[in-house]
Amino acid sequence: MARLVAKAVSKTYGATKALRRGDLEVEAGEVHVLIGSNGSGKSTLCKIVAGSVRPDSGELLLDGKPVTINDPQEAKTYGIGIFYQELSLAAHRTVAENILLSNLPGGVFVDRKQLVATASRYIALFDGVTGEGFSAGATVEALRPDQRQLVEIMKALSTEAPILIFDEPTSALDRAQVDRFFDILRRLKAEGRSIVFISHRMDEIFALGDRVTVIRDGETVATKRIDETDAAEVIRLMVGGESAGMETAARAPAANKAAAQTVLSVGNLSGVGFHNVSFDLAAGEILGLGGLHGQGQSAVLRALFGASPPSSGSVSLKGEPLDANSPRATIKRGVAYVSGDRRRDGVIAGRPILENVTPIHALKQRLALAAPSSLRDRAKPALEALRTKFAGFGHPISSLSGGNQQKIVIARWLIDRPDVLLLDDPTKGIDLSAKTDLFQLIRKLAAEGMAIVLYSSEDAELLGNADRILVFNGGGVTRELTGADRTAFNLYQAAYEAA
Amino acid sequence: MSAVEGTRKDAGFSPMAALKAPLMVALLLIVLLLALGEYLSPGFASAQQILRLLIVAALMGIVAAGQNLVILGGREGIDLSVGGVVSLAAIIAGNLMSGQDSGILLAVLGCLAAGALIGLINGIGVTLLRIPPLVMTLGMLGVLQGLLVVIRNGIPSGRAAPGLSGFVTQPLFLGLPGIIWLWIAIGLLMAFLLRRTILGYRIYAIGSNEQAAFMAGMPVKTTRILLFVLSGMFAAIAGICLLGYTGSSFANVGEQYMLPSIIAVVFGGTPLSGGKGGYTGTMAGAILLTVLQGILTTVNIDESGRQMVFGATLLLLMLFYGRGQALRT
Repeated sequence: MARLVAKAVSKTYGATKALRRGDLEVEAGEVHVLIGSNGSGKSTLCKIVAGSVRPDSGELLLDGKPVTINDPQEAKTYGIGIFYQELSLAAHRTVAENILLSNLPGGVFVDRKQLVATASRYIALFDGVTGEGFSAGATVEALRPDQRQLVEIMKALSTEAPILIFDEPTSALDRAQVDRFFDILRRLKAEGRSIVFISHRMDEIFALGDRVTVIRDGETVATKRIDETDAAEVIRLMVGGESAGMETAARAPAANKAAAQTVLSVGNLSGVGFHNVSFDLAAGEILGLGGLHGQGQSAVLRALFGASPPSSGSVSLKGEPLDANSPRATIKRGVAYVSGDRRRDGVIAGRPILENVTPIHALKQRLALAAPSSLRDRAKPALEALRTKFAGFGHPISSLSGGNQQKIVIARWLIDRPDVLLLDDPTKGIDLSAKTDLFQLIRKLAAEGMAIVLYSSEDAELLGNADRILVFNGGGVTRELTGADRTAFNLYQAAYEAA
Repeated sequence: MSAVEGTRKDAGFSPMAALKAPLMVALLLIVLLLALGEYLSPGFASAQQILRLLIVAALMGIVAAGQNLVILGGREGIDLSVGGVVSLAAIIAGNLMSGQDSGILLAVLGCLAAGALIGLINGIGVTLLRIPPLVMTLGMLGVLQGLLVVIRNGIPSGRAAPGLSGFVTQPLFLGLPGIIWLWIAIGLLMAFLLRRTILGYRIYAIGSNEQAAFMAGMPVKTTRILLFVLSGMFAAIAGICLLGYTGSSFANVGEQYMLPSIIAVVFGGTPLSGGKGGYTGTMAGAILLTVLQGILTTVNIDESGRQMVFGATLLLLMLFYGRGQALRT
């Protein structure tokens, strides 16, 4: 009999169905891997099992008995411990206090001696790989990201729960730390504990797992024994169907691309979150940046724009070196950047549409005076090209829908044409029709000779629009997909491979 | 234009209505307070008396112009050093002209330079050294107060030139003294700056969303430094005029302007969080506060009592305007 069973659980947040039909069966003494692309629902499923999210329907069985888990505290009494992807540490407290936060020894007053002694047992598990400055008495805020992740892991281990859930626990760890962690998990498995493990890394999955459950679009599609499957099959299950994802992307590579002139040339660019990125971008080309979320794609684009300048490497624009020191400097040279986080980076909230659409024009034309009628005339064609719906230039931008706000922000770059357009997940959180308008325009701009770099967290957008795709993994480019190689299967495979 | 039917929210929106609301409230209160003053002390609302109130309001309003700019620029922008700059300018001007019309030009230039320098130091402290504006300008105020004691050694010094006194107190054109015309000119200039120049757009942008302004290539730090420089210069202008109004400078003559300059801005519809509002409302706020001050004097409430009333007014305003507007962004 399975130790833990989730049967057809579902969860809806507002209009989004986060999980449609999640099934999971975990045996005693196994490492069970859960895999699926971004937003497929695997984290939601874990949260339901751990009691931090209540399902809309479906049932949970523990050792064959139906249970209702109302909150994390109750999950703990049922013997379920969880490691959360979002770090949940108290930054100002010590490592020892954080490890035993939910289980502090002593009565009214904390027994310090006992606390340190107990915490040290878990710290000792990682002896030799914790890195400098890691001790029971160190405060968490002084630790590096990988060390904080270790604290989070120790915190989960300290529950000593028979069922342990780890939601992407290795993202910040180095090789030695991962190896040690896996050794610990194997030992726990040998003790008969059940481990649910979420990971995006194929090598980890096959090194550690006993069985794998694949979730696609909020539904459990299959559970396989690791020794009876391979990476290709798992990826096919994630993409969907036997033959799905094998067809080449719709967009034909730009004609006579070889003859086109190189506009942007990036050589061995490194910075926070990315390293040794090199590529050439031709006029009229749409270069896609793919891979899992947060593998350095945004960081590269922001560095090229000068928002967080790169630490080393070279960038040249139209044959001249580009000093990416500040957005102001790169904008003057003909670089444009559209952020997916329009509330933070784009929208000047509360100000009229006119003031939101004209700043780049004012900068490039070195305007001192703002003549509203002439500014309106200049902005109109750019707004029309995007089919922006708005009632008047004097209305505040905040009165528009998200999609139209983003169109205003994009239009500000198009009044005076840039040479290079950097798109950093530009369609995040906007409606479908706005997306369609945006990609129509992007393809038109490329056809007119603009060089475009597109990062999208939606693979379909990349496959449908990019001439070439650089797949990012762990801050570097691990694969380049061109021509007939631009398939969903290849994109997934490259994204989920070891860095 | 391809502009299509707006959302329902668009339909009823009028940018002017939002701007006018605090302005209308202020104007209404001014009329009510004048009537109250006339009732308490007949002659309070006479033409002569109102003109005197307007001169005092102009002094406060000119200080508030700079305060307004700093607050519009956002990121907790505030200039607490204005009172010190007013005092310092009055002393510098008094000593440079020492009663001679021929010294006026030099006095004006000297004061503007001093005000600009103080503003520059404030601006650099706030932007490059990342000292919170409240702390930076409060520290500057302390420095200026100490400096005043050192310079004057406790002895009143300097006299206003007759030309300056006449400019502030005697009718110049259409029965209004020069300072009123100067204030009107500043009002027009401020409106032009904020609505018809790229710098004005930029001030609102950095006050509303500094990160977005940076990503749109705006020189955020330079602009913010400029705002503090302008604030110092406006305070210096007010200091020169104050010398003309009082005839000679005396201890900490400008200190009374710090709190009212902030209240006038908030009353005029510019929230302390910045990014929206303008100077027209601030002018009405300055007049309103001056009338209120006049009434408090009429009913024999002394300086300390007036400060308490002003402080309480600011807190009340924060409750009604400042907080509501900050939440809406």
